[in-house]
Amino acid sequence: MISRRNFGKYSLAAGASTLWLPGSLALAQDGSRPTLTIAVDNLWANINTINGISTTTRRFFPNIYSHLVERDYIADEQGLTLVPGLATEWSRDGKVWTLKLREGVKFHNGETMTAEDVAFTLGPERLWGETPFEPRGKTFTAGFVRVEAIDDLTVEIETEREDPYIPGKLTGYIGFVVPKKAYLEMGVDAFGQAPIGTGPYRVTLFRSGEVLEMEAFDDCWSGPPPAQKLIWRIVPEFAGRMAGLVSGEFEFIANIPTDQEAQLASYDNVTVARALAGNYPAFAFNTRPDPEDNPLVDVNLRKAMVQAIDMDAIVQALFGDTTFHPAVPFNFPEYGDFYDPEMVNPLPYDPEAARALVEASGYDGQVLRWHITRQFYPNYEAAAEIMVEQWRQIGVNVQAVVLDNFELVYTRPYHLMNMSMSTDFIPGDPYQPLWLDWGPTASRSTAHWKTWDPTPEYLAAGKEFEEAITFEERKAAYLKLSQAWQDVTPGYYLWKSVYNWAHRADIEFVARPDGEMRMFGDYMALPA
Amino acid sequence: MTRFWLIKLLRTVITLWFVVSFTFIVLRTSGDPVVALLGADALPAEIEHFRELWGLDRSLFTQYVSYVGQMATGQFGISLRDSRPVLEIILERLPATVELGLAAFAIAAVIGIPAGIVAALQRGKLTDRIVMVFAVFGFALPNFFLGILLILLFSLYLQVLPSSGTGTLLHLIMPAATLATFTAGTLARFTRSAMLEVLERPYMRAAAAKGVPFWKRVLLHALPNAAIPIVTVIGLNLGQLVAGAIVVESVFAWPGIGRLLVVAVSQRDLAVVQGLVLVIAVTMVLANLAVDLLYGLLDPRIREGAK
Repeated sequence: MISRRNFGKYSLAAGASTLWLPGSLALAQDGSRPTLTIAVDNLWANINTINGISTTTRRFFPNIYSHLVERDYIADEQGLTLVPGLATEWSRDGKVWTLKLREGVKFHNGETMTAEDVAFTLGPERLWGETPFEPRGKTFTAGFVRVEAIDDLTVEIETEREDPYIPGKLTGYIGFVVPKKAYLEMGVDAFGQAPIGTGPYRVTLFRSGEVLEMEAFDDCWSGPPPAQKLIWRIVPEFAGRMAGLVSGEFEFIANIPTDQEAQLASYDNVTVARALAGNYPAFAFNTRPDPEDNPLVDVNLRKAMVQAIDMDAIVQALFGDTTFHPAVPFNFPEYGDFYDPEMVNPLPYDPEAARALVEASGYDGQVLRWHITRQFYPNYEAAAEIMVEQWRQIGVNVQAVVLDNFELVYTRPYHLMNMSMSTDFIPGDPYQPLWLDWGPTASRSTAHWKTWDPTPEYLAAGKEFEEAITFEERKAAYLKLSQAWQDVTPGYYLWKSVYNWAHRADIEFVARPDGEMRMFGDYMALPA
Repeated sequence: MTRFWLIKLLRTVITLWFVVSFTFIVLRTSGDPVVALLGADALPAEIEHFRELWGLDRSLFTQYVSYVGQMATGQFGISLRDSRPVLEIILERLPATVELGLAAFAIAAVIGIPAGIVAALQRGKLTDRIVMVFAVFGFALPNFFLGILLILLFSLYLQVLPSSGTGTLLHLIMPAATLATFTAGTLARFTRSAMLEVLERPYMRAAAAKGVPFWKRVLLHALPNAAIPIVTVIGLNLGQLVAGAIVVESVFAWPGIGRLLVVAVSQRDLAVVQGLVLVIAVTMVLANLAVDLLYGLLDPRIREGAK
């Protein structure tokens, strides 16, 4: 019987296949390792570990670079277990952390990794000095005062106050080690175009708007990888990615529109993989008197708007059961012992209570502008439409203004703006969203477009939080800090982001919540 | 004749200066490139650092003078996005766009011009109607929509053509066909009307009366006389092929300058956008110049008039 699939084979494939060999033949039959093609929506301008930070680079970074410390998502779904990477041991004595490095680790250029490389990787020259090569590193190295190579395989990191979370921080972007000599010889820009790491694949071709190719690095400390070559190719149009995967041109595709997942999953030769990401789309209230007549300076109106949103229903409608709405800000499941599933939501969906708060605020019906970046967060505009209607039900007029880029979003006047916040800077700890992203040095409280001024109560609680050493101290400070934030309610978290991929059904792939696509180790297995 | 060409040259320079200046103004007023490149969460200190590094902290006028000076001397600058020379990036991508454009143009000419001739010869008959239906269809169908339809049909369902990318002749088929559809439709319509006008001229009746064979009358008498409007449309559509490539290259992940332009604009990579706009403007201007030259070759009256 001729079906829509084999119709093609009967009619045209015979001739075409003599000219075009699709990717289904990429998995070699002779036992040699295959080439894998991954169709992605975008790459990034450079592959520097810090200047190149983006969702798109995170996908392939660990195939090129290795972390000093790793998060184990195989044994622990939340990835809260830290395991050795390029550092095999770590210990703390007061303000000083000592890292013991793995012996005999080779960079892609054949040189052996030493403590000098690690000290340079984490040091002021590259990340946190006066004019560092990669200035964004300052954000991730707050509190560093000294990084020093003690001997060939020992590095010390000293911080201005005791910091028990340094190993966790080394599982992030700053933990990817680069070779000092090559980096300095090439310069940061050239290095970002032809990076050298210690990971299982080395970069052979990079055209930022088109393709990234890597080949197996068999001298990798973790052993030879399963594929001979990886091709990360930009295919901006989803129809092209889907067609290529189904027809066997690609082995993997990334970034699938939520409403297309079911269609893709209906193909026998395709498996859809998902992971809840360590990231929450949100919106910020402009709590400042800028514009002067901004009614949102009144906390009653902000809380009213929160209580008017039936976010559980919105998430269910837009995402089904793939994700959820965090009812209490910062009470996120990825925070292990910090997370309290029984915590009571102080501002539940309650239109009656919301109307009373609107009344108390003296809001006069003024239109509130909500600046939204076009198609930046999946389903954000759709959710915004529903929220605008729910706010209308309590008498609050919001106009969703969809703009092309963040610069326009940041142009005043606005009353609300879209944003998102990540949660995984320190594994299992609410430091990033609660303090790093809202604290006194965060862009949200310092930039020209800032939306709030941290209150004295918040700042005091933040100081306690930063100085807390034991878990009990830290948790108590976290609850106080979270309460200080909620007293102001300068924003609202919508849902946990979802990363999704699809791949050939005969490939085993473990999806990671940090978005990494590891084409090696226990994270991917090719058919025998 | 010399004055004629000097005026044309001056007009070309003014056009290019206008394009260069307009691009500068639009890019500088439609968003901060530093914010676009560093992302939404960049700290003010980082933004300031890169603004200084890229000379964006200087006054607009200083930036403009330096930019026009660079353009005039053929220096396209360095990409803000990946720190490579803009000219190198453009030259790396240009061959793919030229390949796609030429293939599309060949398809459009091979289909569009004969279809227009046939429609004119069969005026009012079924063949004419069928050709015009397809011409309007090709003219009206948006590129991105046709491209996605082709991907779904030939790559997803029939699985006979690669969905995207480059490498083999088969990779070229769908993008070239998509890009050619609009031009083929336009050419067919214009060829038909130009031929109809010529076919009714007295010298065509005279040729028939003298017993000149039908195809000789069409190819040697009618077609050369209908060539002026056809060449004009071809010239205009050469530019359209570049503009159309922006959409088609995005749909089919074709690594040409159209796709490069989309990425560069979205990320406010000023140097690359400016370089590309200049390249596209030069292409358009040269295409028009070539059309002007062809007029002279095709029509002795124009040649004589210019003297």
